[in-house]
Amino acid sequence: MNPYLPVAIFLAVALAAALLFTVLPGLLAQRKPNPLKLEAYECGVEPTSSVSGRFPVRFYLIAMLFVIFDVEAASFYPWAVELHALKLFGLLEMVVFIVVLGIGYAYVWKRGGLAWK
Amino acid sequence: MATSFAGVPIFDYEALASVLFFIGLAGAIARRNPLVMLMSIELMFNAANLAFIVFARAWLNNAGQIFAFLVITVAAAEAAIALAIVVVVFRSAPQVNVDDVRVLHG
Amino acid sequence: MTLPFTHVDWAAVAPLEVLAATGLLVLLFDLVWRPFAPRGLSLSVAFLGTILTAALIAQQYGTNVAAFNGGYIVGNFSVLFGEVVLLGTLGALALMGRGGSDRESAGTIALLLWSACGALLLAAAATTMTIFLGIELLSLALYCLCGLANRKSAREAALKYLLLSSTASAVLLFGMALLFGASGSVSLAALASPAMVTNPLFWMGSGFFLVGIAFKLSLVPFHAWAPDVYQGAPLPIAAFMTVVTKAATIAIFARFAYAALPAGASQMLLLPVWAIAGISMIVGNVGMLAQHDLKRLLGYSGIAQVGYILAALAGTTRLGLRYAFFYLVVYAVMNLGAFAVAAVLSSGDDEEGTQIQSYRGLGARRPLLAAAMTFFLLALAGLPPTAGFLGKILILAVAAGTGYLWLAALLLVGTAISLYAYAKIILAMYRPDHRVHAADIPRGAPLPWVSLALCLVATVALTFYPLLPSGLLPLVK
Repeated sequence: MNPYLPVAIFLAVALAAALLFTVLPGLLAQRKPNPLKLEAYECGVEPTSSVSGRFPVRFYLIAMLFVIFDVEAASFYPWAVELHALKLFGLLEMVVFIVVLGIGYAYVWKRGGLAWK
Repeated sequence: MATSFAGVPIFDYEALASVLFFIGLAGAIARRNPLVMLMSIELMFNAANLAFIVFARAWLNNAGQIFAFLVITVAAAEAAIALAIVVVVFRSAPQVNVDDVRVLHG
Repeated sequence: MTLPFTHVDWAAVAPLEVLAATGLLVLLFDLVWRPFAPRGLSLSVAFLGTILTAALIAQQYGTNVAAFNGGYIVGNFSVLFGEVVLLGTLGALALMGRGGSDRESAGTIALLLWSACGALLLAAAATTMTIFLGIELLSLALYCLCGLANRKSAREAALKYLLLSSTASAVLLFGMALLFGASGSVSLAALASPAMVTNPLFWMGSGFFLVGIAFKLSLVPFHAWAPDVYQGAPLPIAAFMTVVTKAATIAIFARFAYAALPAGASQMLLLPVWAIAGISMIVGNVGMLAQHDLKRLLGYSGIAQVGYILAALAGTTRLGLRYAFFYLVVYAVMNLGAFAVAAVLSSGDDEEGTQIQSYRGLGARRPLLAAAMTFFLLALAGLPPTAGFLGKILILAVAAGTGYLWLAALLLVGTAISLYAYAKIILAMYRPDHRVHAADIPRGAPLPWVSLALCLVATVALTFYPLLPSGLLPLVK
């Protein structure tokens, strides 16, 4: 069997399903619009302006900090898997790692990097 | 050296990695939006990651996987720094385009 | 399972740990004592840490340790290149002491030290993994350092450097991946096996690897970023980049060219590198002619100087490596000297007073500084009686001796062109100028003066001391 066959089947199924869900409702549904139906759904409010505006720069700041600490957290996984084999050495290594990270964190905090001013 | 993995020849994986790499390279060279250029650079990094992991499996040498992990960490740090610099440079600009960055020339 | 690493490994990287810890200490002191910290505390801590690191590295001289499964090889090669890196770091730190705003200094100094850590790692790296780690540590810190100054040109330099250098890193990394695929090992030594000559992965990987290195060395088709970045970056950072980045990258290149290539492939693979080194000599020197900013001019000069250093390596002989290293030290010293003069004169305004215009009439206003600048520029041009002259003669000798006569010829042509560019500044300094009053010129902080004097002494002293240690090799084994 060609090893790519499952991939091809998967792609075909995904494509068919997506087409089905987008095309079928348009064909089958009955359309009887009235003003009430066309309103923003239930609890919604009429939008006053375009939603895709510019974000404040603060979001990017937080995103940057998140990315860094997120990836550092990912570094824990291989360490956790091998912790029993690494014994005290591994523990000390991780303590050093966290201390270094902690100093960086403290620096960011103290310099106001986390404040939402 | 193993020649195939999950029924797919190593060469195919390598071809995929190369294609990804060159798409990234083309993007990094041709696009003028620094954010898109950064995305292209990340794509190149990840093409290398794919190659590393495939070769790690082919040679049964875990060094490739460790390398890929290292690259992920480095790429995250790079993305953070890049975002910071882009934000600083384009803070007051109406839109983000590297052609507007031209104080230095000659 | 036994512990993967022993105390021998940790002893080998002790200097790196000290330098990295110094960076952390600088940050901590700044955090804890921020309002009350005496001026210059961060700088003093950084100086002490760097000197301690230099002492620790000097102690490794004569030893041969392959630590971390061959990823970090301590030997005379790593010691010598490491000391050049630290020399550049000390020079940059000295230029930081020129006063001005102290607000951002702790962060800047810490980043500078970590960047130097990356360069030290490169001096001893012998696997693609450690090379990548070192290059990224060096570059990531430098991106921030370029952008920290509150000037439009500095931020722009940071963006350009970031985008272009990251692209080069990615190319380098893909090359490393292919090399890993070729040999099944991240070790550079594994590439030296004869089986590699027929392996297409090896050729492609080496190609990408060398393109990445050529970019980081700002060799000609990949040089456009260097002058922009040097002009935009703050003075101390530009000085750091010209010396430390070049020293570390040349260390990597030398290790790759000397110890990681199989006998049959070395000549063919490296020939394009020598060719672009030759072109760099011409393009760098021609580029200098049109410049109006000293930092930018030194950036172009650096492109040519790297070409000279590579010309010495062209035969991949022991002697060539020795002379290349000698010229690297000389370049570091004279370049730092020129930057120190600029730092003493710098006014701290938007362009840091490094436009060549502002040097007009310097000979009358500040005869000592003008004389020092003249001396350093003559050394960079390679005129006697400076060490630059001796270095160039040695390179010519080794290039001619190994059959690379065309490189020697290009070196001579490049030098002739550069004379004109350097002479332009020197003439400008000694031309009378009545527009500027003597009172406008700042006195300058003491540290750049010290750095200037030391560079002056070193540039002269190196003329009489070309007898460097001969045991640079073995690089890998």
